[in-house]
Amino acid sequence: MIGLALVIGLPLLAALVGLAMPNRLRAAQVAVGGAAATWVVAVVVALPRFGDAEPVGGSWGHAWGTLSAPAVTFALRADSMSAALLLLAATVALLVQLYSVAYLADDSQYRAYAAIVSLFSASMHAVVVANDLFVLLIGWEMMGVCSYLLIAHYWKRSDARDGAAKAFLMTRLADVGLLVAIIALGQAVDSYRISDVLDAVAAGELSSAMITTVALLMLLAAVGKSAQFPLHTWLPDAMPGPTPISALIHSATMVAAGVYLIARMYPLFADSRSATIVLGLIAIVTMLIGAAFALAQDDLKRVLAWSTVSQLAYMFAALAVGSVVAAIGHLLAHGAFKALLFLVAGSVAQIVRSTAFIDMGGLRRGLPVTFVTGTIGLAALAGLVPLSGFFTKDAILGAASDSAHDGGAAPSWLAWSILVAGLVTAVLTAAYVTRTWLLVYGGERRSPFHAYDPPSLMRWPLIVLAVPTVLLGIAVLEPGWLGGAEAEPVHAWIAVVSTLIVVVVAGLTWLVGQSGDPAVRLGPARPVLAREFGVDAVYDRFAVRPTLDAADVVLHADSDVVDAYVRGASSGTMTASRLLRWAQNHNVQTYITVAVVGVAVAAVLAGVSAS
Amino acid sequence: MSPLTLVVIAPALAALLIWWQGKRWSDIDVARIGAAVSAFSLITAWFVWLTRGESVVHAGETDYEWIPALDIHWHLGMDGISYCMVLLATVLSGLCCLSLARPPSREAAHQPDRRSLVVLILVIEAASLGVFTALDLVLFFICFELALIPMWFVIAWWGDPHDPAGRRRAATRFLLFTVLGSALMFVGFIGVAWQTGTLQIDAITWRTASLTGTLNTLLAVAIALGLAVKTPVWPLHIWLPDAHAKAPTIGSVLLAGVFLKLGTYGFVRILVPILPVPAEKIGPYLAAFGVAGIVYGSLACLRQSDLKRLIAYSSVGHMGFVALGVGTLTASGLSAAVFISVAHGLITGLLFFVAGWLKERSGSSELSTLGSGLYGRMPWLAMAFAFGCLASVGVPGLAGFWGEMLALRGAYETGPAMNEAGAWTLLGIAAFGIVLTTAYFVGLMRRLLHGEPVPAVSVGAAPATATDAGTVETDTDTDTEAEAEPDLDREERVVCIVLVVSVVVLGLIPGLLSGPIAQAMPWIIGGVR
Amino acid sequence: MPLVWPLLLSAALFGIGVYGVLARRNAVLALMGVELMLNAANVNLVAFDVWFRDVLVSGQVFTLFTIALAAAEIGLGLAIVLRLFRTYGHVDVDRLGGEP
Repeated sequence: MIGLALVIGLPLLAALVGLAMPNRLRAAQVAVGGAAATWVVAVVVALPRFGDAEPVGGSWGHAWGTLSAPAVTFALRADSMSAALLLLAATVALLVQLYSVAYLADDSQYRAYAAIVSLFSASMHAVVVANDLFVLLIGWEMMGVCSYLLIAHYWKRSDARDGAAKAFLMTRLADVGLLVAIIALGQAVDSYRISDVLDAVAAGELSSAMITTVALLMLLAAVGKSAQFPLHTWLPDAMPGPTPISALIHSATMVAAGVYLIARMYPLFADSRSATIVLGLIAIVTMLIGAAFALAQDDLKRVLAWSTVSQLAYMFAALAVGSVVAAIGHLLAHGAFKALLFLVAGSVAQIVRSTAFIDMGGLRRGLPVTFVTGTIGLAALAGLVPLSGFFTKDAILGAASDSAHDGGAAPSWLAWSILVAGLVTAVLTAAYVTRTWLLVYGGERRSPFHAYDPPSLMRWPLIVLAVPTVLLGIAVLEPGWLGGAEAEPVHAWIAVVSTLIVVVVAGLTWLVGQSGDPAVRLGPARPVLAREFGVDAVYDRFAVRPTLDAADVVLHADSDVVDAYVRGASSGTMTASRLLRWAQNHNVQTYITVAVVGVAVAAVLAGVSAS
Repeated sequence: MSPLTLVVIAPALAALLIWWQGKRWSDIDVARIGAAVSAFSLITAWFVWLTRGESVVHAGETDYEWIPALDIHWHLGMDGISYCMVLLATVLSGLCCLSLARPPSREAAHQPDRRSLVVLILVIEAASLGVFTALDLVLFFICFELALIPMWFVIAWWGDPHDPAGRRRAATRFLLFTVLGSALMFVGFIGVAWQTGTLQIDAITWRTASLTGTLNTLLAVAIALGLAVKTPVWPLHIWLPDAHAKAPTIGSVLLAGVFLKLGTYGFVRILVPILPVPAEKIGPYLAAFGVAGIVYGSLACLRQSDLKRLIAYSSVGHMGFVALGVGTLTASGLSAAVFISVAHGLITGLLFFVAGWLKERSGSSELSTLGSGLYGRMPWLAMAFAFGCLASVGVPGLAGFWGEMLALRGAYETGPAMNEAGAWTLLGIAAFGIVLTTAYFVGLMRRLLHGEPVPAVSVGAAPATATDAGTVETDTDTDTEAEAEPDLDREERVVCIVLVVSVVVLGLIPGLLSGPIAQAMPWIIGGVR
Repeated sequence: MPLVWPLLLSAALFGIGVYGVLARRNAVLALMGVELMLNAANVNLVAFDVWFRDVLVSGQVFTLFTIALAAAEIGLGLAIVLRLFRTYGHVDVDRLGGEP
């Protein structure tokens, strides 16, 4: 328990201390030192959890008091899944902090940046080791806040601040779903502990309507956080942020939190057919459109962003067919190689001073480390044997095919569709990977730049990340590493098919790419894909515009309707006063006339009533 | 004199002292005395709470027969809910006085002196503390009204220096609205007292079973209307934006942080415990109006052009959550009302402090004249503002979240007054309101904090140097820029730190508030079925 | 003579007097209306005194009082009207008041 609390508390402390540091050097030392210490604690806590080890945890109840029943407690728990993600998050955070010291060497706002990265790290760890739904929610939303603040790091750029606003708003819209789900679950189970909830689901205490509703709401939150259709448009627009952030947040950790949420709450989905179907459908659509859009982009980081969207969809698909092990495995592998790719992109961007393909080309000469690690990362993304991406993708497709044959959580039509979509996406992935490689490294340089390998602080993280990119597959092969479920060994025919796909498609693309940008061959489809089907315009027209119009209506209502009542009351009072003032016309004769008439009437009435 | 009486009277005595002897001390010392007295009240209240007995409901209970002929008692008592509100009132008043403990700005030359302002703040504080600890209906009402008059002076005399007619109008409108509401509320009080024969709130709370029927429903409506004007609940909110736009910095902070809480406190202390059966009839309407206010306030913020009006409308939105919580008549909902009151007071207090300081520096709070890129011009001010915005959005981990969560939970639990369909519809709309809140705050931050650092266009104030005439400067590190747009000074930094730390602490350890609230809740909700 | 004739005279005089007070615009004519009302009351008093053959002759005594009072009042009233005329240049009751 202490270790788990430290894993959250140390980065938090590093963030606070780092903000108070007087200069860059001190702030960098605090940030990197904090990340390193956190990494050590994370390793100590996480390594014993793999395999069949019992989960550890504890809770501090009294500090959070009783917010009337059910009570919210600071409860933490680490099992093998948490351990895996904890290691991933801590490692990538440490590497990103190291990388950032060099990448942001001439940035005046480095202190705030490093502090927010530490805060983000604390939040991600909180999500991963939380045993109380509110601890998870706090970490979840704080990650969103940190992501917003970090994307807006270059707040002088309009695309950065617009992207930050969009990311925050879309994820917050989805997070409301998580909040409502937590409230509903808490009432139904009378506890906010994740372990209690999962026990209740296993014991069948919740009605199926409740399970489906909660599952769908959590799916909404995961869809927003992991940028799946239909909330997928924020991730590419978040790319104007600093590249190490994209490596940390938008590839390895925050966007993976959506997958983690569903994996953690998987029994809910296992019990709800409709939620599983929705999950599977979203995964299918997203993996296809993500890969298709990646093929048509002109900017390296946008390609990587769409690629992340597509790969996350693979993980969602694995969850849909019931294989948590495959999803988490791919999450780890993807975290490694996508972070690697983003850091490579950062190095390339520093050299070329831009992230657009048009300024790149011929980068295989002069920067050996960046070239080799980048190639390894791209190959892992495509799923080339024997890199990690191959094994994890194989696990997912194998799980889909097993589910299609043997039945399981997902109906077999869904499993078949996932299998087919997965293979099609593998085709597209191989295509865009090769295209990216060609445009960045291949050919001749298209703009003048000085090619050099970046400084060591930026080089070593690349090398370190290349190791799990290559070797993680072996670890995933180890049966039972995630505790419980048996990890399937390699499926023979899927392995053969996917390798064939990669080789053939890559080769074709390479050939096509010898005579220019392969994407040109897409023809008229290309602008459509580049515009991402215009989904953003649809959102603008049907969500943003009406809200702003409603806001105008409200403003007018306030000044013309509600205020009219107030002004009416005041002018009514003034009118009544003016009318009554007629009686005060300082004409004595009028007064006496009124008096005389009054007396006469009173006398008559008195006489009448007396008789 | 009992400690609780001392808590309430001390600011009033200090006000009297300053008014009588104030010419001897400088403005800054007077402000420091005000802050010290507030701290004294805070510590005494904390002491009273800590030393309360085991099973005592109202800590430090004090009961004198004040006006025997009318059976009015000087009856004070502090249960958990009162304790939270007393803390809020003393902290905010103290910070207001502290923020005045610096040399007045150029614009203050046209305003009456600082001493009178500190006197008024202390009177408002004493009256608010009286409201929060009063256990006699007439004493409650007297303190309720007593807080209004100094506020009129604060807005009308120390308000927006460029618009004398406007600030008088805003102050008068505020006064008339709230006095009308209070009159209705008093009718309700008298009705209740006439039926039960006593004015003591705790005595009436034990006799609630007899207060049913049409008459009591009408009385409940009257009391609810009076409190709804103060809270404010849509559609009686129209006085708030004008009052905030024209009020001075500390006027806005006190208005948003303490004043509005008088209304929310009244709902929890008087309406629900004393008239539980009629409250069940009006609860759904209150909740519905609250949710309407959440959406309405948020939409109005999206198109606001004045910073302080925007924050005022965001207050309408947050108080909508309070109304929703009260309307559900559940323990969660009523706890939400108190929690949001305290959290909103701190968060919106911070926002209004920062907005007020921006307005003092540039002469206007129109967003078009405030420039952009505040991160580059005044980084610490901008960070404080960003923190306030994020806290107000209700990010979990900061104080604003727990109250909203409890309100939503109250709506989910449905409560005795509504049916599930209605309650869950309100829940959905309120959740949508949270998204809208995020939208306008993010838009505000983008407009004000991000972007090229464009300095503010000074309105009316004499420029300190010759270079701040609104030209676009891309290099923000020159000394002349720093002179024209100073970052937070020492008192402002202290205020910010206190508020930021308290918001973070309450966000991470909500038990500090929810413990006392839970202690008081059984008596509040006891009459509700 | 029958009692009713002086009473009718009194009533007629009173009515003319009320008309004069309420409806005449000239302040002097309004005061004349007041005089007429007072004298109408006098006629009434004397008529009843004779009819009742009062030992104390209280009606006629009262009439003497009234005549004295009316004289005093009309003196004061006309003095005021004179003052008004000197200030405003007219004595139209509808237009009196405000700036001279």
